[in-house]
Amino acid sequence: MIHALQELWAFFWRDLSIARTYRTVFVLEALEALFGVAMFFYVARFVDSPQLQHALPQSGGYFAFSLIGFVFLDYLNAAMDTFDRSLLEARDSGTLEHLLVTQTSLPVILAGSAIYPFVATTMRIAVYVAWGAILFGFPLRDANWLAVAAVLLATLLAFSGLGILSASYLLLFKRGNPAKWFLLGVSSVAGGMLFPISVLPDWLQVVARLNPVTYALGAMRAALLDGANVQVVWRPLIVLLVFSAVLLPLSMAVFAWALRRTKTTGTLMHR
Amino acid sequence: MPEAAIAVASLEKSFPPARSGWRAFLQPFEKPTVVALAGLSFEMRPGEALALLGANGAGKSTLLKILATLLLPTHGRAQIAGHDAVLDPRAVRSQIGYHAGSDLGFYARLTGRENLRFFGRLNHLSDAAFGRRIALLAEQFHLEEVLGRQVRTLSSGTVQRLSLARALLHEPRVLLLDEPTRSLDAIAASEFRRYLKSEVLGRGDTSLLFASHTLPEVELLADRVAVMDAGRLVACDTPAALKRSTGAATLEDAFMRLTGRSPQLTAEETTE
Repeated sequence: MIHALQELWAFFWRDLSIARTYRTVFVLEALEALFGVAMFFYVARFVDSPQLQHALPQSGGYFAFSLIGFVFLDYLNAAMDTFDRSLLEARDSGTLEHLLVTQTSLPVILAGSAIYPFVATTMRIAVYVAWGAILFGFPLRDANWLAVAAVLLATLLAFSGLGILSASYLLLFKRGNPAKWFLLGVSSVAGGMLFPISVLPDWLQVVARLNPVTYALGAMRAALLDGANVQVVWRPLIVLLVFSAVLLPLSMAVFAWALRRTKTTGTLMHR
Repeated sequence: MPEAAIAVASLEKSFPPARSGWRAFLQPFEKPTVVALAGLSFEMRPGEALALLGANGAGKSTLLKILATLLLPTHGRAQIAGHDAVLDPRAVRSQIGYHAGSDLGFYARLTGRENLRFFGRLNHLSDAAFGRRIALLAEQFHLEEVLGRQVRTLSSGTVQRLSLARALLHEPRVLLLDEPTRSLDAIAASEFRRYLKSEVLGRGDTSLLFASHTLPEVELLADRVAVMDAGRLVACDTPAALKRSTGAATLEDAFMRLTGRSPQLTAEETTE
């Protein structure tokens, strides 16, 4: 256990040290966030109306609704992309073989590769929300931060499984991230990111209700905008945790199988 | 009798044929038909140095990768210090130091020291042990002045020295080195061989299996030489015994004769 924690810390420190060599990126990302938030603010000013406010499931207006949808998409993207990107970088830099001959187990290598990207994405989201709150009146006074943290964590766990499945695909077929395309594609329409699912036709509403993103997003908005506590958002939390409990072990098993396959075919380092 | 450092029995490895276009999607599931190793068997005792000698494609790197748990054999068994490379790969990895023979495998934006610390940590090296080992290896491989520089600024020879230091960092019982001096200049290569001979092999508890095309290096370091050809073990003996058994004056000649690449025997040799 101590070894595993030390190994996870080593991965985090590695990625933080690499990120520190690109210092201007932090500044540019903060500016990018400012422009993004400003765009959502003015789009909201353009489209907001009493009817629209009434159609939204939470308070805060369309600006708050769409901004949360957007930053949540960023989070989802990180969960789906991190394992792929780490694998690609390790393969292209030649470090993959050297990671795999260390005494560190495969689950720790996978988890370790994801820690810094998840922390960085959380920080980026915080910057978005901070710009929104400081400059454009994003309502934070009612937020229940414990519930927000619980929803984020459950979301990460739930969608990391899909990210690991994508990495397994990449390991075998060298290019592509079909799980990401599928989930982000479906969720951008039937996930309630930029508009409530009540505006969708009935059959797409059924798809949206089968999509865990819908639950995660609803819980996130409820916790941030309406101050819903963990007792209130327990239902979507349970959905996400069940999703994680099924998908994480399954994805780890699939990744281990894909790795064995590449060790059989000799294509581990092939591009 | 002490447990063999490396035991390989009837080891076979075949790969599926390379495919392009849409057929590449089928490759992970195709039958392995391209033979890389064809029934290899040998043992190494603790502290022994064995050189793998063979032409390109003879199967040397494939063998090293199987022992490093980076490839799975098609048939047969490969063990390191009694641990099976297929059934117990983590135990095997706790025994080995591996050098892949290239100057890749480091994080370009990290310094040499940061890279080594990271890999040391993944091999369960404490800070104190890391400090002790890095001081020793930096001195031996003349890395003191480059450890603080980002790897992307280092020459390929320096990165290769860093890679060798990484393989030795956690004091493994078995060293698997694929062409360890390939990118090194003559001085660095000579110093590395001297270090291996006196400091690593001299202790008597570390075994070395290495692939090399540099025959003086093989003669200097190896107790025995395994001559490979098309995935088969043609001979495995001391350099002197190989020369004697083939009637060759040099190891190069012995290798040529054993692999059937020998130039025609001279009239004198034929008469003899």
